Amino acid sequence: MSVWRTMRIVGRKELLDGVRDRRSVLSALLLPLFGPILIAVMFSIILTEEADDGPVALPVVGPEHAVALIEHLESQNIEVVAPPDDPRAAVAAGDENVVLEIYPEFEEEFRAGRPAPVSLYIDTSRREGRVPVRKVRSAIETYSGKVGTLRLLARGIDPQLARPVNVGDVDTATPQQKAANLLAMVPMFVMLAVFVGGMFMATDATAGERERKSLEPLLLTPTGRGALVLGKWAATTAFSSMGLVITLIGSTIAMAQLPLEEVGLNVEFGPAEALWVLGLLLPLAPMAAAMQMFVASFAKSFREAQTYLSMLTMLPTLPGVFLTLEPMPPDGWASAVPVLGQQVLLLGVLRGDAIPVWGALASSAVVLLLTVVCLFGTTRLFGSEKTIFGD
Amino acid sequence: MIDAQDLRKTFGDVVAVDSVSLSAADGQITGILGPNGAGKTTTMRMISTLVRPDSGRVRVDGRDASAEPAEVRRRLGVLPDARGLYPRLTARENIEYFGRLQGLDESTLRDRVERLLERLDLGGVANRRVHGFSQGERAKVAIARALVHEPRNVLLDEPTNGLDVMSTRAMRELIRGLRDEGKAVVFCSHVMQEVSALCDTIVVVARGTVVARGTSDELLAQAGTDSLEDAFVSVIGTEEGLVA
Repeated sequence: MSVWRTMRIVGRKELLDGVRDRRSVLSALLLPLFGPILIAVMFSIILTEEADDGPVALPVVGPEHAVALIEHLESQNIEVVAPPDDPRAAVAAGDENVVLEIYPEFEEEFRAGRPAPVSLYIDTSRREGRVPVRKVRSAIETYSGKVGTLRLLARGIDPQLARPVNVGDVDTATPQQKAANLLAMVPMFVMLAVFVGGMFMATDATAGERERKSLEPLLLTPTGRGALVLGKWAATTAFSSMGLVITLIGSTIAMAQLPLEEVGLNVEFGPAEALWVLGLLLPLAPMAAAMQMFVASFAKSFREAQTYLSMLTMLPTLPGVFLTLEPMPPDGWASAVPVLGQQVLLLGVLRGDAIPVWGALASSAVVLLLTVVCLFGTTRLFGSEKTIFGD
Repeated sequence: MIDAQDLRKTFGDVVAVDSVSLSAADGQITGILGPNGAGKTTTMRMISTLVRPDSGRVRVDGRDASAEPAEVRRRLGVLPDARGLYPRLTARENIEYFGRLQGLDESTLRDRVERLLERLDLGGVANRRVHGFSQGERAKVAIARALVHEPRNVLLDEPTNGLDVMSTRAMRELIRGLRDEGKAVVFCSHVMQEVSALCDTIVVVARGTVVARGTSDELLAQAGTDSLEDAFVSVIGTEEGLVA
């Protein structure tokens, strides 16, 4: 019987078995949606914060000590309100984002031309306080700078003398590239989906056969071991690819829904980009399937295999975490490293950079090589007496 | 026709099987009787090509097992010690899967499966998922799976293990039926009565080697005893691990 025919028979049976297994279906269809949903939620949180442009309510202790400062703050869309009894406790408890305290000696020091003391109570561990704090601080600093300039002018001194160096930022990041730093999580989720999608299938087709004692009968058929492994691998690849495609579709929809332009983020992620990503990442599905089957073939039981595979699933998320912290250019050596390469290239697509063709080819070639090695290893294990009978 | 010559297999320092020979003719039931751990299952696995003997040779219908393992597997129907089924597939799907792997075309397959389901009285549960089947039903599906390609030779490892009285009777009927169809049937068991009731030839193994062989009468004569039980104890040298 031809290898192709065996492969089809085994593949069809494994798919039938797989779609009847709730765990397999959940991990291929539902779990991949987790990433896009998380991204959408995180983006909306960031967006609401960035878009927050209403007046800031600022509790002030002792406003009567600095009437001019209070006037300035109110002209800056900051609404001065009555302070809580204990400013420190109120900020620490999260009741207030920021409280300004103006000390009684403010007026005297101000008149004397000495630095007049005020305190801002803030909690830097809270994300939601950052925007109002920044606004209040910059309003106070503007006031301070303005008064300083006036004082110098009143004494006949050019205020420029007090600014020996003038720093100007030249930001070369395009809005799309800025957004890409946030989007660095997308590759990680896609990668995770590839490895999670086929995990149960890979386990069931290898360690599962041993655990339920169906491997020996299966190997008693005249089929070649290689063809059996290929059939199981094809079915697992189908599930891994399904996870990949679902995550991609989910991410595309999520990004189309988010009002990214409103905050100056220009993310080009339409169907065309999704196809690019699909092409770059699809070779990972057969590799993940082959690696998982190989690893799971060492296990005697479903549980044991799951333990090994959850470790394997952690691996591809590491480059994702690494890239979020330390982005790498897509034209470097990293492209040829499986998983890391795909993520670097994918990030390049999201940033709108040109993708070096050799990088895409190199990463696919290495992935293909790994796939073949793992399939070969699995076939060897399937034929060994230790795997068939070991318990 | 199964012919095994001088089989030997060691696992590390342990000699599991040593110079075991047996010949199973067509239309005959050959029993391998021995206590637990005597090397019965290892011998079966060497015949079914899953375990490679350290030395010795297996021929099935004249085909050499180490030279043409796939051809030998095609000529064998094996009910192994491990008889796990796919719980999410129905009885019919379980049997069909193995029929396809044996290379049957779809119309032959449908015919065979239908006949087997009827013969094994599985018709009522054929389209139910195997998950939740009784031991007896599982055993029947496993035997159907082993016979779906109508092999000339049948190997059964402890076929009545775990079965109730009714299922055991049905299994014995089936084994006789296979013999009457002219197949070479080899089965191994540690149940003395079963072997003596069914087998035309008995091969008694203990500690990895053949200690006696022949028909029941020949074994009685050989041991010089009146009862089969005494004969077995006498040739094996111990009562340990045998069930009357």
